[in-house]
Amino acid sequence: MTEHDIELSVNGTTHELTVESRTLLVHALRDELGYTGTNVGCESSTCGACTVHLDGDAVKSCTLLAVQADGAEIGTVEGLAEDGSYAPIQEGFQKEHGLQCGYCTPGMMLAADDLLERNPDPDEDEIREAIEGNLCRCTGYQNIVNAVEFAANEMGETASPEMTAADGGGDD
Amino acid sequence: MAIFLVVWRQYRVGVSYSHRRHSHMEFSGTFELEDATTEEVWLALSDPVMIEHALPGCEFLVAVDDTDPDFDALREEHADRDVEPTSDPAVIAERAFEEGNHYAAIIGISIGPVNPTFETVVTIDERDQPYMEASGEGSAGDSSFEMSSWMDLDEADDGVEVEWATEADVFGRIAQMGQRVINPAANQVVKRFFSSVQDELREREIAEGGTVEQAQSDEDGRGIVDRILGRSDGSKQ
Amino acid sequence: MGIETIEADDLDVESVLGSAVERREDPSLITGEAEYTDDIQRPNMAHMSVLRSQYGHATINGVDTSDAEAMDGVIGVYTADDLDVPGEVPTGWLLDSLKTPAHPLLAGETARYQGDGIAVAVAEERYIASDAVDAIDVDYDRRDAVTDPKEAVNEGAPVVHDDLDDNTAFDWEIGDADETDAAFDEAAHTAEIDLTNQRLIPNAMEPRATVAEYKPGTEELEVHMTSQNPHLHRQLMSGVLDVPEHKLHIVAPNVGGGFGNKIGHYPDEALASWCAKETERPVKWTATRSESYLTGTHGRDHVTHGELAMDEKGVITGMRVKTYAGMGAYLSTFAPAVPTYLYGTLLSGQYDIPAIHCNVVGAFTNSAPVDAYRGAGRPEALYAVERMITLGAREMGMDPAEFRRQNFVPSDDFPHQTPVAVEYDSGDYEPALDKALEAVGYDDLRERQEELREEGRYLGIGFSSYIEACGLAPSELAGQLGAQAGLWESGLVRVHPTGKVTAFCGTSGHGQGHETTYAQIVSDELGIPYDDIEIVEGDTDEIPQGMGTYGSRSAAVGGSALATSSQKVVEKAKKIAAHQLEASEEDIEFENGEFAVAGAPERSMHIQDVAAQSYLAHDMPDGIEPGLEETSFYDPDNFVFPFGTHIAVVEVDPDTGEIEFENYVAVDDVGPQINPKIVEGQVHGGVAQGIGQALYEGAEYDDNAQLVTGSMQDYTVPKAEHIPTMETDSTVTPSPHNPLGVKGVGEAGTIAAPQAVVNAVTDALQPFDVDHIDMPLTGEAVWRAVNDAPDAGAEGGDEAIADGSGIDEDGGEN
Repeated sequence: MTEHDIELSVNGTTHELTVESRTLLVHALRDELGYTGTNVGCESSTCGACTVHLDGDAVKSCTLLAVQADGAEIGTVEGLAEDGSYAPIQEGFQKEHGLQCGYCTPGMMLAADDLLERNPDPDEDEIREAIEGNLCRCTGYQNIVNAVEFAANEMGETASPEMTAADGGGDD
Repeated sequence: MAIFLVVWRQYRVGVSYSHRRHSHMEFSGTFELEDATTEEVWLALSDPVMIEHALPGCEFLVAVDDTDPDFDALREEHADRDVEPTSDPAVIAERAFEEGNHYAAIIGISIGPVNPTFETVVTIDERDQPYMEASGEGSAGDSSFEMSSWMDLDEADDGVEVEWATEADVFGRIAQMGQRVINPAANQVVKRFFSSVQDELREREIAEGGTVEQAQSDEDGRGIVDRILGRSDGSKQ
Repeated sequence: MGIETIEADDLDVESVLGSAVERREDPSLITGEAEYTDDIQRPNMAHMSVLRSQYGHATINGVDTSDAEAMDGVIGVYTADDLDVPGEVPTGWLLDSLKTPAHPLLAGETARYQGDGIAVAVAEERYIASDAVDAIDVDYDRRDAVTDPKEAVNEGAPVVHDDLDDNTAFDWEIGDADETDAAFDEAAHTAEIDLTNQRLIPNAMEPRATVAEYKPGTEELEVHMTSQNPHLHRQLMSGVLDVPEHKLHIVAPNVGGGFGNKIGHYPDEALASWCAKETERPVKWTATRSESYLTGTHGRDHVTHGELAMDEKGVITGMRVKTYAGMGAYLSTFAPAVPTYLYGTLLSGQYDIPAIHCNVVGAFTNSAPVDAYRGAGRPEALYAVERMITLGAREMGMDPAEFRRQNFVPSDDFPHQTPVAVEYDSGDYEPALDKALEAVGYDDLRERQEELREEGRYLGIGFSSYIEACGLAPSELAGQLGAQAGLWESGLVRVHPTGKVTAFCGTSGHGQGHETTYAQIVSDELGIPYDDIEIVEGDTDEIPQGMGTYGSRSAAVGGSALATSSQKVVEKAKKIAAHQLEASEEDIEFENGEFAVAGAPERSMHIQDVAAQSYLAHDMPDGIEPGLEETSFYDPDNFVFPFGTHIAVVEVDPDTGEIEFENYVAVDDVGPQINPKIVEGQVHGGVAQGIGQALYEGAEYDDNAQLVTGSMQDYTVPKAEHIPTMETDSTVTPSPHNPLGVKGVGEAGTIAAPQAVVNAVTDALQPFDVDHIDMPLTGEAVWRAVNDAPDAGAEGGDEAIADGSGIDEDGGEN
């Protein structure tokens, strides 16, 4: 089996590793580098549990070979929170009870984050459409939709200067 | 390798497979081979070497003594096999399919996410020009199939009409993962097979000198075979 | 936007119970810190992969493992011949007529379903183990197979187990056949239905997995696995592998959903454990999704004929049900209970029915074993009941809501004894129905339905007034019914010297938020702040004993165990406090954590200070041991019976078969709610799975017993776009049977939703005389029902229906 030396930047940290040609990105992340927050739920790129950011876009890491990601910037759930405070999408999932067993949650949050990047103020239909590649068996999706709306509002408020000035950016 | 120029005048693969309760898949179709006679087509389709060449993914197709051959030995024996199809009736007669005989083949096929290589054994159940019937089974590590097929040749306006049908049962991984995509995969195989047969027949015709000259004086960019077939435009295939 | 959550900081002990506090489970789950089984790495860990039968039924003439064994990186390849253990998977529930054919860990001579394990390979790496399995050569003789439960018990059907005469696993009945027949003889009206409750695949997002490690020095086997009930797995696996129970340590780390699929004892977890022992290497096995589909237990799989008898006023006088239930190739752990005692006992629904008889024939088939799937028997029962009730109303020409109301068990008739063995604890059915009717604006809706029909648009309103039996289970009763285990629960509440608390419970949550709700219970009972309480589940070395999480039992049984232990802690602390406060115990009052002398509130002591004194033990009352912790084995007196009414409002396009939700209202009575946000989430998720069954899901085998819905691309797990926004509400009728009055909510939605949806669709299609469509109600199924209906084409605007536009009948693609 041919092996390849590749370089992956995961949540800003650069890793050099050797992988087989057939090694999937998700297995490189989980088994080689220990980023086990990204989960595997199927092998047919249907469930989205393995969704990560690759150079800023949400992708399913079970359908990409690790060698294809050579040199890429990967973002995983472990990198969502910054300086000890949750990203708005994480806060949304917590506040709105957007998760139960939590297995789909990392992928779901990364897919949702990708949506909010492209569309900061999505309506319900747009949210449901954006996460159609991510399956959740626990929540019935309703509180996930609420969680994404929560994050959108939160990000909207942070982006709006008079709001941050007014409430001092405190959590609530 | 010449690109496939065949346009199916009449080609259909209807699949009457339904998820619920049915086990086997049925494929059938009719196609026309242009500018050929029933004899020529029968001869071509009687030649295991011809089939071996035309069938996509087929490593070899050889006569065997029984339905349980030693594939490891066959692989070794035929690994670098390079036998050419021929139009020489005498050569074909020597190796032509025979009713009641068994044939072993290694066939690799890609069905969606699954890429099994089947060790296949086929028995010719009936062979009476212009009708042939065969059945067999193939097995790969995690998948297998059982099939029976027939084909019937008929004179058509401009060549030969081949009517064929296959019933297949699939098992294992291809059944689990691949049923959704077996239909297009089978389509692909059948299409390529008959394309190759058509190509071969044309090459024979050209080789026999019939229209070579005309083909060589091609001026308007049409392919050789288009000219042979009297078509005005090459296929985009 | 639903119920608003509050932060833990805002909780106080007076109101902790019933607060929608944010889940404490979430921080580790939303940061990737949570550890699921496949996340676990061990030094020198090997990987196991399983070779599975590609045939639904075959004789195995031989297995050649030589090529696999010769591969680089392969540690060992094992077949049935290599397993030197008792090695049979046990059945946890017996019935009088039950046949219990052997269920070996690996198939030896016969493979009985597609996916039946034949050999395992252990290798240095995940991919190599899988390569090794591919290199194993099996010499099969394929045999005829059968997968339909009704066909399986017909004469001449292929027999799944050669040592049995036929495929009848059991023949079971409940209720009085003669009385029921008499009710039908005298009936003024009857309604009947033939239905299937299709086979489903549970689809927990996390596939099953195991990491097993054997320590030769201590002879201990430590197994981390995806379990809903680690103690039960310990007990069963101990027998299967012949490892003494005290040397077997089972841990359920974070578990990514279960839905019943992680209750049973499977061969695979035991095989990984055996391989760990055999190779003296830590061994990991993680199922692929396709492997999960083939071998994880499926749910439902009923073929049913049901009849309802009514008098001239539409009062129900009898019900008769005959069901064929698929068991799959082998009996999974609780499989025999699911289509019998969890099914037949619920056929009275919310109704006062004097005579019921039900006969269930269990059938072995060449398919994955069937066991509990969210609801387990109760969805099958309530689907049959509520379909029959809807047809009964139709037969009577009555409004379906009023027909239900007329037949409800009256609120003053509780406890209510049904003719199918169970006694409902408490109930008040009309308020839930009324709330649901009001929420959908029922009267206006019926008017609008009429108006829309004029325009050729078809609105449908579907009811589901459901009941469920939860809180499994009173052990003595369960034993009488065939359970091979008690169904109590244990809870240990330990107050540490500093007044902090660790509480241990034998249930094992996998998404339900037990750590949050249990802490709320213990905080409320002890008056100790919520944040001072830690909850531990899922570890057989830490928790006294346990029966696990299924059957909506955790709050009612596990929560009650913790409440009972907490109460015992308070009792003991009260003695110590009385002694310390120099008062008599009778004079001590306890409120919000404070022990105070009656009439002298300044003489008081907080329970956390009592804890400190109890461990100091310098000044204890006579006869009281030091320390402050208590354990209970709580055994419920009865099942609890949550109920409610769900209403689905849909619009059906008869031209395409497409169904669109206009509304979905769920009014559930699960007793007092410990955490209303979590309750809401459970209802949402349950309803989504119920809608999945109604419209999308179905495991299908072909005639060769090949699973043709073998991947997530072929089996439709509902996506966000498939599930409507739901409106939830509740009524509260406490159960008199447990200290919390709680009833359980985990399965309510799944039990309620399918019939609400099917009733709505068939209501919409009344102009076409469509009385029933078997689930899943795909566009094609609906379109066919409309076209096959006796009245097809009779209505105006039906040209498109007649010409079949939009449907490719061949299903072929080109």
